[in-house]
Amino acid sequence: MSENQEEMTLDKRLALVSFNKDPEPFIVVDTKLCQQCEKKPCLYICPAQVYTWQDQLNYNTEGCMETGACLIVCHKIGAKAISWKYPSGGKGVSFKLG
Amino acid sequence: MSLEGFEVAVVGAGPAGSAAALTLAREGVQVLLVERGAFPGSKNVFGGRIYSYALKRLLGERWKNAPIERFVRKEGITFMTADSSFSIEYESKDPTGSFTSVRAKFDKWLAEQAEKAGASLITDSRVDDLVLDRGTVKGIIAGQDKIPTEAVIACDGTTTSLARKAGLSTMMKPEEVSMGMKDVIELPVEKIEERFGLEPEEGAAHVFVGECSGGLRGGGFLYTNKDSLALGMVVGADDASLKAVPSHTLMDRLRKNRKVRRLIRDGKTIEYDAHMIPEAGPKMLTRPYTGGMIIAGDAAGHLLNNGYTFRGVDMAIVSGIAAAQTILEARKRKDYSAQSLKAYERKLREEPALKDMYTFSKVPRYLRNNRLYNVYPELVCNAAEAVYRVDGSGKRKIYKELRAQTKGKVSTISLVRDLLAGARTF
Repeated sequence: MSENQEEMTLDKRLALVSFNKDPEPFIVVDTKLCQQCEKKPCLYICPAQVYTWQDQLNYNTEGCMETGACLIVCHKIGAKAISWKYPSGGKGVSFKLG
Repeated sequence: MSLEGFEVAVVGAGPAGSAAALTLAREGVQVLLVERGAFPGSKNVFGGRIYSYALKRLLGERWKNAPIERFVRKEGITFMTADSSFSIEYESKDPTGSFTSVRAKFDKWLAEQAEKAGASLITDSRVDDLVLDRGTVKGIIAGQDKIPTEAVIACDGTTTSLARKAGLSTMMKPEEVSMGMKDVIELPVEKIEERFGLEPEEGAAHVFVGECSGGLRGGGFLYTNKDSLALGMVVGADDASLKAVPSHTLMDRLRKNRKVRRLIRDGKTIEYDAHMIPEAGPKMLTRPYTGGMIIAGDAAGHLLNNGYTFRGVDMAIVSGIAAAQTILEARKRKDYSAQSLKAYERKLREEPALKDMYTFSKVPRYLRNNRLYNVYPELVCNAAEAVYRVDGSGKRKIYKELRAQTKGKVSTISLVRDLLAGARTF
């Protein structure tokens, strides 16, 4: 590319966001159910790729942007495996601009 | 701070919550505004623009003290393929009708206005449940604190757990929500003004349809802030999930598009944001009130995407005001029953700004037509190419060229049907 263009990746993006880790787990997935899940919609809807698949469902809540979309797609398209609530007060993602 | 003695608790210090709290506090109501983030705005994301009228209505002339980035002078839309694009731009004679802003500043400022009017703000506080007495809401529960109140206004956003706890909603369907993502890209003031052809303080808003969404139901947007660009994508949650396209990859697709690439050149990305957008409108709740509680803002589906304007903050403010006014009237009657709060629903339908939601209620269904994203944008670009290209091979008249372009892409019946439905919908 001849133009001065910044290459972005999701990792670079997530590094720009502040997270204040909640010691309490606010997302809990019953990953046994995910083995039967045909569509695995959480892998695609999450804009922060909290969910990944390697033989089984793995999830890392530290990059969670709290959109809540995973819960909806999991329960309506997926295996109803995700339980989700917001992190406790003051914890979780904090946008500087938004 | 003692959490006793509050008449009304407002949950969520976004635009709806702060507008409601401010309206109540101004009338001498003891109001508690509860925010789960470290500060109001820290959890909130939007595209980038606020329509001024709502703020004017809430604050009078003081609306101009808001943290405004740029007043929107230019409105544009681009239909795009990977290597061609067709853009329309409108330059408004009065840019003060809307402005770009960033939520971490705007929401914080608006909550401060509520505090100045006498509302008490607590942050870092997640409301977990409602205090219920025989089905009537009598307060909120936040962590260890049980806070009794006469009434509650729930402005707790798209995922509204309070409406669900009160039995006013069930879980939304994937086709009723979209995922919104954006990069904030830093660019010097002069570069923005030069690149977008803007006077100082003036801004541009732009929508992208076509290649950027990879055939999915969605599109891109760009707003100019003072010294940054808000560049984002919105995609239907069902479409991305079922077609197995990771939502964030659409951001890269948008940025790589030839048209967009030039607009963000030399920029430095300074933040990535994401948020879920409810698209079902007011019907996402069975009703926006119950005994002791009113729902406003995103939580009540009070926002509008009619395909060419995207409204959330203005509607949130107006619905927050309407919620507060309903509570004020109920307070006079000393009656916060569902029957008494029913007046809210009438206000929503009579309030001209909110009535727009009902006027455009058929839009979401129309926008579910994927031809809008994977056929028509390309068709427009190809037609323009054929109309403007002179290569000595002989030209057809424009009408004939347009007809030729539709061949094999879309049937005449579908085209006519889409056009007619469009005319009725918008």
